[in-house]
Amino acid sequence: MSRKEKKKLRDRALLAMVLTLVLGFGTGVFGMINVGLIHGEENRRKAESEQLSDTVVAARRGTIYDSNMNILAQSTDAWKIYVNPSEVPDEAAAKKAAMNLSNILDTDYDDTLEACLNKDRRYIVLKSKVDFATKEKIEKLRKDNKGFNRFIGIEDDVTRFYPFDNFASTVIGFTGSDDKGMSGLESAYNTKLTGLSGRNITAQNAKQREIASDFSTYYAAQEGVSLQLTIDNAIQYYLDSALSSAIETQDATYGYGIVMDVKTGAILAMSSQPDYDLNDPYAVSDEKTKEGLDKITDDEERAKATTDALFAQWRNRTVTDTYEPGSVFKCVTAAAGIEEGVVTPDEMFVCGGSYKVKDITYHCSNRRGHGSEDFTTSLMNSCNPIYIQVAQRLGSEKFSQYFEAFGLGETTGVDLAAEAAPKPGVTYYTADRMGPVELASSSFGQSFQITPIQICTAINTIANDGKLVQPYIVAKEMDSEGNVVRVTKPTVRRQVVSKKTADTVTQMMVEVVRGGTAKNATVAGYKVAGKTGTSEKLTTKQEDYIGSFCGFAPADDPEISVIIIIDDPKSGSYTGGKTAAPVAAEVIGNTLRYLNIEPEYEEGENAGQDVRTPSVTGLETAAASETLSSSGFTVKVIGEGKKVKAQAPEAGKLIPQNGVVVLYTESEEPNETVEMPNLIGMSVSQARYAAKAAGLNVQIVGTASDASGASYGQSISKGTKVALGSTVTVSYMTTSTEMEIEDTGNAD
Amino acid sequence: MANRQAKGKRNGFLARGGFDLPFFIIVITLITLGLIMMFSASSSYSYYYFNDSLYYFKRQAAFAAIGLVVMALVSRVDYHVLKRFAVPVLVVSFALLVAVLLVPPPPGFEEFHRWISLGPLTFQPSEVAKFAIILYFAWHMDRHFKEINSKALYRESRFQAKSAYMAWYLLILAVTCALVYKENHVSGTLLIFAIGVMLMYLAGFNYKWFLLAIVAGVILVIVVVNNPSILPEHAQPRILSWIDKSYDPLGVRWQTNQAVYAIGSGGFFGVGLGNSKMKQLYVSEPQNDFIFSIICEELGFIGALFIVILFGLLVWRGFLIGIQAKDKFGSLLAMGIVFQVGLQAALNIGVVTDVLPNTGISLPFFSYGGTSLLMLIFEMGVVISVSRTSKLKKI
Repeated sequence: MSRKEKKKLRDRALLAMVLTLVLGFGTGVFGMINVGLIHGEENRRKAESEQLSDTVVAARRGTIYDSNMNILAQSTDAWKIYVNPSEVPDEAAAKKAAMNLSNILDTDYDDTLEACLNKDRRYIVLKSKVDFATKEKIEKLRKDNKGFNRFIGIEDDVTRFYPFDNFASTVIGFTGSDDKGMSGLESAYNTKLTGLSGRNITAQNAKQREIASDFSTYYAAQEGVSLQLTIDNAIQYYLDSALSSAIETQDATYGYGIVMDVKTGAILAMSSQPDYDLNDPYAVSDEKTKEGLDKITDDEERAKATTDALFAQWRNRTVTDTYEPGSVFKCVTAAAGIEEGVVTPDEMFVCGGSYKVKDITYHCSNRRGHGSEDFTTSLMNSCNPIYIQVAQRLGSEKFSQYFEAFGLGETTGVDLAAEAAPKPGVTYYTADRMGPVELASSSFGQSFQITPIQICTAINTIANDGKLVQPYIVAKEMDSEGNVVRVTKPTVRRQVVSKKTADTVTQMMVEVVRGGTAKNATVAGYKVAGKTGTSEKLTTKQEDYIGSFCGFAPADDPEISVIIIIDDPKSGSYTGGKTAAPVAAEVIGNTLRYLNIEPEYEEGENAGQDVRTPSVTGLETAAASETLSSSGFTVKVIGEGKKVKAQAPEAGKLIPQNGVVVLYTESEEPNETVEMPNLIGMSVSQARYAAKAAGLNVQIVGTASDASGASYGQSISKGTKVALGSTVTVSYMTTSTEMEIEDTGNAD
Repeated sequence: MANRQAKGKRNGFLARGGFDLPFFIIVITLITLGLIMMFSASSSYSYYYFNDSLYYFKRQAAFAAIGLVVMALVSRVDYHVLKRFAVPVLVVSFALLVAVLLVPPPPGFEEFHRWISLGPLTFQPSEVAKFAIILYFAWHMDRHFKEINSKALYRESRFQAKSAYMAWYLLILAVTCALVYKENHVSGTLLIFAIGVMLMYLAGFNYKWFLLAIVAGVILVIVVVNNPSILPEHAQPRILSWIDKSYDPLGVRWQTNQAVYAIGSGGFFGVGLGNSKMKQLYVSEPQNDFIFSIICEELGFIGALFIVILFGLLVWRGFLIGIQAKDKFGSLLAMGIVFQVGLQAALNIGVVTDVLPNTGISLPFFSYGGTSLLMLIFEMGVVISVSRTSKLKKI
């Protein structure tokens, strides 16, 4: 090589080298800086989002208890079964897996196979909320078949369980598939019940498998708050069953009611019948409705009708629906009038059968007129013209003031979802829009719409010495360890009328039950105050009625307020006195006895007097029998033992004076049962005899004084197995003709 | 030209004298780092698929060990011996390139006729072709250096000899490239073409031709980028996904995206050796073409830059050896070899860092592949052999 050649080669080589280094490696270094440093953070985040599996750890939903700490709703462990189709090796494996999975999970084979073959997906849930046994089967399947654990997965899940199915269903509500409250308390308290879900962040490889990493972080879920309701399972049961048998016997569309604690506003029972099974909320529960749906041939139409029916059965009508309260409202007008001094209970009025305001004639329910009567009697007769006059004396201004003071222009504030809110000027007349005509119709409970809970709260005000309380249904909130985190303090909203006025109106209402339209609400041993109402449904075409009763007991020291509404009864009677009052009597009687309120009998009521059972457990059998017999009880001894080991009813329970007491001498558990006999269509003595023969006690409600009266209902239906010594309520109703003319009033 | 030292070394088959220690150290460092990083990158992949984290490492290490023995031997051999093999190797290379097109490709790679299996071993004829081109061009250019650099006529014809030789080299290059292109191996084609052109440039052809070639190349790139449809079907989406970074993220771009995420995860200092998460089956075949992304993730920008500098030093030292080599043959051989390694490394890093479209190009010393590692280390032995005759400071 010449020197020149060498130089040329060296020059070219150096140029080539420099170009290679600068261009070649420069490009690489540029790339490293670009994606690694300049966009490094962004790329790192993307990498992390890919690597980290961030699964939500569901918080256990809080439990719902009744006031006696019976579990009404509870979340239990469940599991979710999924497949990772991208890991399914071949079609044969997919088919085998789908066959097994569809068998175990009870899913459709074709759908399952389709899921298994969906190669592009990594996570398809086959079934959620499966129980332990099913989960175990899936685990066995994964173990027995090589490779199945690569694509069949199990995840934790929770499911909501309602031990009492239909019990208080419209109040409690249910949760959807995502564990979110859909209706009732489950919806109203959803956030609190839900708690805070936790997160489990783990690193995973591209095949969705966990890898060891310092990234793994676990944020524990915070269990939801548990609720203790004011609902008492026994009272709720009385209300549920009384309403459900009433809508059946009266062929009514709906029946709803509330039992409220007078002093606190705590709701002891709340029901809307027909109800539904909380564990199967998407099934139409009402047989009649179901039959109707099955008749629809058009699929689309049936689907729509089914949806409507479901929404209808989920409604808690006592708070979501409004109606015209009718004559029940007269108590409010009376209280306002007495408080303002424009009327006294003894003031004499004359009812001519109708009353003219401007050009409109308002008829009394008794078109012939009630003639001369005092103000108390006008309430007993539910006499419209008198109440128009009282309202006129008050004037629109004062009338509206009391209307609103009684809480009828506002929501009650009950802690339930979807309470219907009154709209001034729309659902009721405000003072500035209330002319003489509107005032007249409003005075006896028409031309405005309110919810059952509103009128119940208003009537409760009369029972509670004139103090309006805010109703509530959640007594306590508790954390997962059972520590009480909140107690609901009863709230008195305002003093609406004086105690004196309240007492006066109470006396008038006692007379209504004693001899007026609410006679059927009589409960032997307890003084009931109440008022019936019958209103025509505004919305529907022909004559649909709503019969209602609202009242409280015992009248001298009220414990409970009750409202019972029977919506659209079709079996003939439609007035509140014949439809709602007997149901109220059953509920009031059962509830007061359950609450162990001492009965006070009036003269003529002795026949059904209740006494408390003495404690004889532990005594010699013979001595115990002797003690009971001498007190007038009928004794039934079970077994050959020498000593009484248990007794039914337990000591201290109220039973009829000559009721049955069962003594167990061998078993420590009162475990004997008997089939409930038929007690309908019988006179009081017939019913007593039949019950005693079966070893049961009878409680009579309603006006049973008529010798000819036949019972129309029994609280436990015929054929049901019940414990020996149980008490069954038998209902009677007066059939006297004077009751036919009722408390309806129409303007024409 | 001849000096004392050189004289002593031309006696027979063996090369004598000291070799270039810096180059040797660079090579050993790259082989060692390559093995370590290949192990780290492949561990979870091989565990997942073969239940043995060492599956790939054991094989690669075995080839590296054999390679080192071969390198030691080759470096002792006088590289002039290779002259005798220049033509046979080129013939064999052609034969292999034709044969590979006739052999059915391995399952899963039906489109790509790149591999030939010999018992348990597989190898790429294109690897042989690269060396064949370097060896043949170095030998031939050495022999005809004078003609190439003069205006002499070719065998009494009207053509200048250098034109005839240029035509000849281009022909060989064209045939080789055409055959490699038929394998559906665009990156290999480009690499071989670049090596050939580089050697022609070093041989002394008029630089105007190279300027022209560069202009033509730029135009070609522009045309291809704007009309990817003129490329073979398998290459089109790779260009499309390089232009549009959101193209088919779960398909064609998956690999590149994962690489980019890995590099970003590494940041400046890296997550530490063995701590890569993206090798957990995110970067597909992390031990192969995309190993550099795992290096970036584990060793960070600093560690990766160190490796880039190592490659740079290899190129620099290789060119120095070439420049100082005793004859044109050794000079072109050494420079051709290190240029091949350097360019391949640069292209690989460009691909992994998303500066260049994704082509199947491996990172020398690092990517898994026993036969190609063996070939590479053998070539390093050749360069060391050349270094024994070059006038660098010897040890």
